[in-house]
Amino acid sequence: MRYVVGYSADARGHDAVNLAVSLALGRGASLDLVLVVPEVQHSGHALAPRPGFEHLLNEQAQEWLDQALALVPPGVQAQAHVRSGDSDAHALIEAAEELRADMLVIGATRNGIFKRFTIGSVASALLHASTVPVALAPHGYHRQEALTRISCGLGTRAGAEKLLDFALGMASNRVVPLRVVSLLALDGGDAADATGAADAAREYAEKHLAAALPGGEQEVREEAKTEVVVAHGRSIEEAVDRLDWEDGEILLIGSSRLAKGRSIFLGSTANRILRALPVPMIVVPSDYELKQPNQPASNDIPGEAQK
Amino acid sequence: MSTEHEMSKASQPGLQPGLQPGQQHDQHGLSEKGLKAGSVGLIGAVVIGISCIAPAYTLTAALGPTVAEVGVQLPAIFLVGFIPMLLVAFGYRELNNAMPDAGTSFTWASRAFGPWIGWMGGWGLIAATIIVLSNLAAVAVDFFYLMLAQLTGNPDLADLTTNLPLNIATTLVFIALACWISYRGMETTKSVQYVLVGFQLLVLGWFSVAAFSHVANGTAFDATAISPDWFNPFAVGSFSAFAAGVSLSIFIYWGWDVTLTMNEETKNPEKTPGRAATLTVLIIVIIYMTVALATLTFAGVGETGLGAGNPENQGSIFAVLAGPVMGPFAILMSLAILSSSAASLQSTFVSPARTLLSMGHYKALPQKFGKISPTYKSPSYATIASAVAAAAFYVITRTTSENALWDTITALGMMICFYYGITALACVWFFRAEAFSGAKAFFFKFLSPLLGGVILLVMFVKTAYDSMDPAYGSGSSIGGVGLVFILGMGVILLGVVLMLVMAKLRPEFFRGKVLSRGH
Repeated sequence: MRYVVGYSADARGHDAVNLAVSLALGRGASLDLVLVVPEVQHSGHALAPRPGFEHLLNEQAQEWLDQALALVPPGVQAQAHVRSGDSDAHALIEAAEELRADMLVIGATRNGIFKRFTIGSVASALLHASTVPVALAPHGYHRQEALTRISCGLGTRAGAEKLLDFALGMASNRVVPLRVVSLLALDGGDAADATGAADAAREYAEKHLAAALPGGEQEVREEAKTEVVVAHGRSIEEAVDRLDWEDGEILLIGSSRLAKGRSIFLGSTANRILRALPVPMIVVPSDYELKQPNQPASNDIPGEAQK
Repeated sequence: MSTEHEMSKASQPGLQPGLQPGQQHDQHGLSEKGLKAGSVGLIGAVVIGISCIAPAYTLTAALGPTVAEVGVQLPAIFLVGFIPMLLVAFGYRELNNAMPDAGTSFTWASRAFGPWIGWMGGWGLIAATIIVLSNLAAVAVDFFYLMLAQLTGNPDLADLTTNLPLNIATTLVFIALACWISYRGMETTKSVQYVLVGFQLLVLGWFSVAAFSHVANGTAFDATAISPDWFNPFAVGSFSAFAAGVSLSIFIYWGWDVTLTMNEETKNPEKTPGRAATLTVLIIVIIYMTVALATLTFAGVGETGLGAGNPENQGSIFAVLAGPVMGPFAILMSLAILSSSAASLQSTFVSPARTLLSMGHYKALPQKFGKISPTYKSPSYATIASAVAAAAFYVITRTTSENALWDTITALGMMICFYYGITALACVWFFRAEAFSGAKAFFFKFLSPLLGGVILLVMFVKTAYDSMDPAYGSGSSIGGVGLVFILGMGVILLGVVLMLVMAKLRPEFFRGKVLSRGH
């Protein structure tokens, strides 16, 4: 298992390293810290040649990565890489593909004006194009211990089975409980409607969970420590707020279907979840599992979802 | 250039049950991926060269002041001005090959002449780029308001730029925006660069054709027949005028040397840089000659009305001439100059920022100048410092001078002569041991830079001396001394003072302990 960590020598980079360590601890994964430096340009008028500045930049990048490696506890194996490219997202995806990474880990940015957690431009670009799951660390994530619970946000669209399979695999590999979460935004409406919608959502989630579990029996479910939770509020944000979240928890969600114009990977719902979410989130590409069997045989460590 | 570095952190074996012995991946092949060596072809290199020169901007800024000095011998001076630039550029290429460093003139002069002259060489480069930044912003602002006027059909809007507080405020906004873009590490993409360059050349061509047809139709302002005498530099009235003209025409070729130093990124490093430099300068000389001749034949050098000799027109000649020459299409000229000066404003921020960064790195400036932004990977402190300096320079010039654009360009020409001169002589001195090792080394490492350096330093001294005259340049003066002299010498003196302060604060560099002399 390898996780590629998009590192920058700021708070965001630290958040990403911490999350990557948490994720790696449960799985014995090794980390590849990747720092992307831009391809520098010539200047106008007075000559400012590229090689000199590139040299200083690389020197600085090495120093930053040395500091980054020091953030990783001794139990986790880590390597550092300097990459150059015009687009950080592009360079990270390229690195993830070359290193055959099982996940990309990055930090979310804090929007200075609204003081909310938002995904930065790099994360946004990544979420639109990554072929591996992308883990987003919330601002100020400082935990460096293994995960304690995995939540899986279940929408009502196709592809839920694959996401559930992935979540089950992740939970059983790490021997942590799985919580299937259904988030409902019910603006206005009476209580009966709300209860009805919540029941429908619960039924839907139970059905899919049963299908995903081997045998689908109650005993298996007990053993796998799974539960189904339905949360609702006037908005998705409120629904997220109403749920209890453990410190060592992580929320898995599926990406929007790429077929719809390819332009939205992270759906609007997921975006709103992220805004209110106090724990990290992993966005899984909708066609992710299909790619898993194609992984080269030489990679004898199984992918995140495989058992 | 792309690089791939690997560092490993030893893990503690046995702690992780999931770790397998074969975990170490084969790293081979990583270093090749992502490398974009040799991505720039001949056309790409020429486009970079032309966009660094920004001909629409340099012409509007320098044509008027040069005519004021040399009159109809404008084409001659434009041609002669290229000679010292060429000679110095050869030296630049040699230094850049031997010591590719972000500090350029600062590093090279320090290695050749030691820390003191090196520091002043770096200061000269920084000062020149700071001055050009303020001028670029000012020109952009002029054409911004002019374009608003052309767009709305309301000529009053163009006059807004003469409203001092508004002009200063707008210019500071432009500088701040360009600084922010540069700080964020954003760059003009190649395709945008192509469009900007193509558009500039097209509009300058259009202007020339329109001017010539006015002359042919008898509708020119002051139709003047082209005479061979215009190409004779010896016909220039005095050596003072000649020196002033040359130091101004250095400015119009400034940026061309970039093409000579593009080695690694070109597809054919042996041939592309030389060819690109030649092609770039051919295109630039043709466009300069055409526009110069078109302007002179259309407007003459008279000191009234649209005449190129009219002091009112000197600061920004196209702002005045584009309307009468191009009619309703004058808005294209505004757009070309606005876009080229705005793009140049943003990209030129890189020059002083990298030199300041390098000086901070080598401990010739406070450490914070050597800071690289962890988020944007740009020289953060140095970029902001450059913007503050450019803004301050503009406010001072604008409030003390009757024609800020004119005087800044004249002071700029002087400053370029100063640091180019030092750099060229640094080349001669640095390579002195190899100077006579062969014909090629003799020409490129010794003769060319020596001639170029001496010419430029002579121009510098002569222009500095002449500029003490209160009537020099736009005729602004403080206490009976010409403003251009005060600006130019003031900046250099400020450098000397800062250098002495730095030598007290961080003596290490000045003891030659950081950058050693010689090879």
